[in-house]
Amino acid sequence: MNGTGWPLVEIASKLLQGDERDAVLGDLLEANETALQSLLDVCGLVLRRQTGLFRDRRPWLAGFGVALPCGYLLMYVSISVSCTYARLLYPNARILACRPQGHEGFLLLLCHILLLVAWSWTGGYILGSVSRLTLWASAALSVLPAFLCMRHLPAGFPRACLFLFLLPATLGGRHALRNVRVTVGLSSVLAISVTVLMIFAWTSNALWIFNWVLMCPAWYLVAMARRSGHAGRMGSWPLGRATYSRAS
Amino acid sequence: MLGEFEYVLITAAAGLGENAYGAAIREEIESTTARRCSIGALYTTIDRLEAKGLLKTWMGELTRQRGGRAKRMVRVTAKGVQAAKEFYDAVVRVSHGASWVESRTGSMS
Repeated sequence: MNGTGWPLVEIASKLLQGDERDAVLGDLLEANETALQSLLDVCGLVLRRQTGLFRDRRPWLAGFGVALPCGYLLMYVSISVSCTYARLLYPNARILACRPQGHEGFLLLLCHILLLVAWSWTGGYILGSVSRLTLWASAALSVLPAFLCMRHLPAGFPRACLFLFLLPATLGGRHALRNVRVTVGLSSVLAISVTVLMIFAWTSNALWIFNWVLMCPAWYLVAMARRSGHAGRMGSWPLGRATYSRAS
Repeated sequence: MLGEFEYVLITAAAGLGENAYGAAIREEIESTTARRCSIGALYTTIDRLEAKGLLKTWMGELTRQRGGRAKRMVRVTAKGVQAAKEFYDAVVRVSHGASWVESRTGSMS
């Protein structure tokens, strides 16, 4: 085995599941394959695995039904929060010219920020739970609208403001991947709180009508937590995948 | 009915018996068919056969020879043996009288 290329093989193999990664790397070491051939073999297997995953409807549903629309809406919420924050704290700033002209007042701004964090986290958590092995595709689709809108930003508008949703969404996805349990009680409190905040913001004309769509992940979380009984951990996907047991 | 590669894999695994695992099966296939067997084809086929109940796999012990990594052991189930036998019988039946079958008597025109 060529030692210089082996780290690349190990990096590529990280896209495989733990047991399979062990078996494949061990097989390649045993066969004394060249690093290039090993890399091609691993990439081929990863490609086959990923292709297989997309034969199921869940990655498509997660990507185009959740990640893309939520990413688009959350990008606008991020812009709105940024503009409102700038208008309140820096009244003479150039950012005043930017749209949308959101709500005013620190209370509504706080409400808006809380909603942004909660929506992003629940969205990330749902994506991580429903399509954990294809999360990279969902993540790419969720940031796609922001990247497409970057060129249309007014001069002086910080581009990072489009991505305010990214941190809580990443945390949500990370929690899902680490199987952080969300109980029925906790998810219910979260969903009810988000709904109350949304109604408050909505009655103050602070949000867009389509922002109601962002409530779906929070209530879906409640439904899934109730279905799974004692915990909010979603069933990992794919469900039919073969499992291995380590010999004692 | 099994596919060609599925049959080859089951036959190789059955022949290796207790020593059937990824690398050994791959080596056996490559040496007997004189064709390269990619890791991707091997493991996706093993998964498919396991899902059909024709193979059973489990992670074996860690070995120093493999950099401390475990083997994915394979065992052919009774259902797998039956499926392989059916495939073999079908190939024998369909090959009966074929010009390339050695036992055939007569001229090749």
